[in-house]
Amino acid sequence: MDATSPDKIIVEGFQHFFETADGPVQATGLIDLKIPAAEFVTLVGPSGCGKTTLLKAIAGFITPTRGRIVCDGKTVTGPGRDRGVVFQELAILPWRTVRRNIGHGLEIAGVPKAERERTVARLVALTGLKGFEDRYPHELSGGMRQRVAVARTWAADPDIILMDEPFAAVDAMTRLTLQEELASLTFSTRKTVFFITHSVDEAVFLADRVLVMSKRPGRIKASIEVPRRKAGGRDWESFTTDPEMQAICEQVLRLVRDERMDGAARPGETPDPLKEAS
Amino acid sequence: MTMTAVSAPAAAGAPPRRPSPLASGLLGAGKFLAPFAAVVALWWAIKAGFDLPDRILVSPYQVLVTFWNLLSRGVLADYAATSLYQIGVAVVVSAVVGIPLGFAIGSNAYVARALGLFLRFFQGVSGISWLPLAIIWFGFTDTTVQVIVVYTLVVPVIFNTMLGVRAIPPSYALALRSLGAGTFRVVKDVYLPGALPSIVVGLRLGMGYGWRALIAAEMLIRQGGLGDLIFGARTFGQIDRIICGMIAIGVLYVVVDRLIVQPIENLTVARWGVLRK
Repeated sequence: MDATSPDKIIVEGFQHFFETADGPVQATGLIDLKIPAAEFVTLVGPSGCGKTTLLKAIAGFITPTRGRIVCDGKTVTGPGRDRGVVFQELAILPWRTVRRNIGHGLEIAGVPKAERERTVARLVALTGLKGFEDRYPHELSGGMRQRVAVARTWAADPDIILMDEPFAAVDAMTRLTLQEELASLTFSTRKTVFFITHSVDEAVFLADRVLVMSKRPGRIKASIEVPRRKAGGRDWESFTTDPEMQAICEQVLRLVRDERMDGAARPGETPDPLKEAS
Repeated sequence: MTMTAVSAPAAAGAPPRRPSPLASGLLGAGKFLAPFAAVVALWWAIKAGFDLPDRILVSPYQVLVTFWNLLSRGVLADYAATSLYQIGVAVVVSAVVGIPLGFAIGSNAYVARALGLFLRFFQGVSGISWLPLAIIWFGFTDTTVQVIVVYTLVVPVIFNTMLGVRAIPPSYALALRSLGAGTFRVVKDVYLPGALPSIVVGLRLGMGYGWRALIAAEMLIRQGGLGDLIFGARTFGQIDRIICGMIAIGVLYVVVDRLIVQPIENLTVARWGVLRK
């Protein structure tokens, strides 16, 4: 393995099968993928195509049936604090206050309390949670809980952040704000982000690069570069009025729609590899 | 309203309580005591209406006199202490044995599935049905009573601890592992607090079942305890004593449940459980 590789995440010959009572079920097709450091990659694709399986493999929650995942030159064998995960369902602990949830990673790492408090205070301010430090999650709105989850991951300061539809459960207005905040947060902290979503707009808005996955067993069928984000991230007003961005959205939408229609017209068939090139 | 300074921090933003605590307190007590008063009235009516002799049913007044007698002579306290001691020991033993066992079973999906039916089966085989065997093995001793009560108590504790562990979203543990946590950390920060409300429910249920089993076992074993008191009184036809014992059984259960167990449950469920949905 080339340790000097600029790629933060390398997925090599990855393929995954789930064991079920009726025998193994193929969760993903063959996937090869390289994500350079500080890149924000979003992944869209039809339900059940194996997006989450790929994310879980990178997180180290599952062992690939075939192939391997390499992060920072090391083969992934399990979860680790170099790869933070923000889940779709709220995985913050209901019996911990906002402060203690956000500081949890630092507590685990044995960071002294004073230093921990400083980091927590910084992230609380950054994520707009000021004044809610001593509240319990059930006292917060959905959007605020999601901020806590994001802040907890950021506080542990991993190089890589994996996000599985983190904003799917919050209302549309809050989602816009959270997306803008995430865009500026990731830009300023130069994290490598792998972000799964169902929403084409969200995928293009956040990304440096959008990956489109085919239906199950999913493979990466297209990779679309998005012009580099400018300092301070993006905002929705300029995004929706930018013809270049809208063209990319349309392109991604077409790719995703193709998959869905293929699925409806010819159920069970694997996608045509020749269509890959688009 | 000047006393609200000591109220729980969580209730800081809550609207003020009822206007007059004394009035509403009396009203509340009356609401709970009214059904008891109705039963006593009915009892009295039956006693007087059918002109029943004392060997069939005594009057509430006589029970009151006997109750005071038993209480002042320390008889009731003596028998009650035996029962309370037995249930107390059983609670401690069940917690020490049942909680780790429930954890061991609950933390492994395969084991949990495999033992689900097994545990349900033994929930069905009540503690009392072990009594014949226990008497053969341990004789008419305290040990027999203790075995029956611990068995009755430990099954719901194991079962509910297991359910509690199973109900914790797997993402909690995964998220912690991604923050760098090891197994000990995950157990301490996720499984233990996550299963706590369910463990408390298990102990509470177990205490209810255990208390009933205890009284039944004491009636047969006759080595002290409230069950012994009421069954012994039957031999001499002391109906007043029997009813006094029954009242003590009910009162002690309510007191222990309301004053000790329920506050603990409220504390954990209120803070922990709300977000479970």
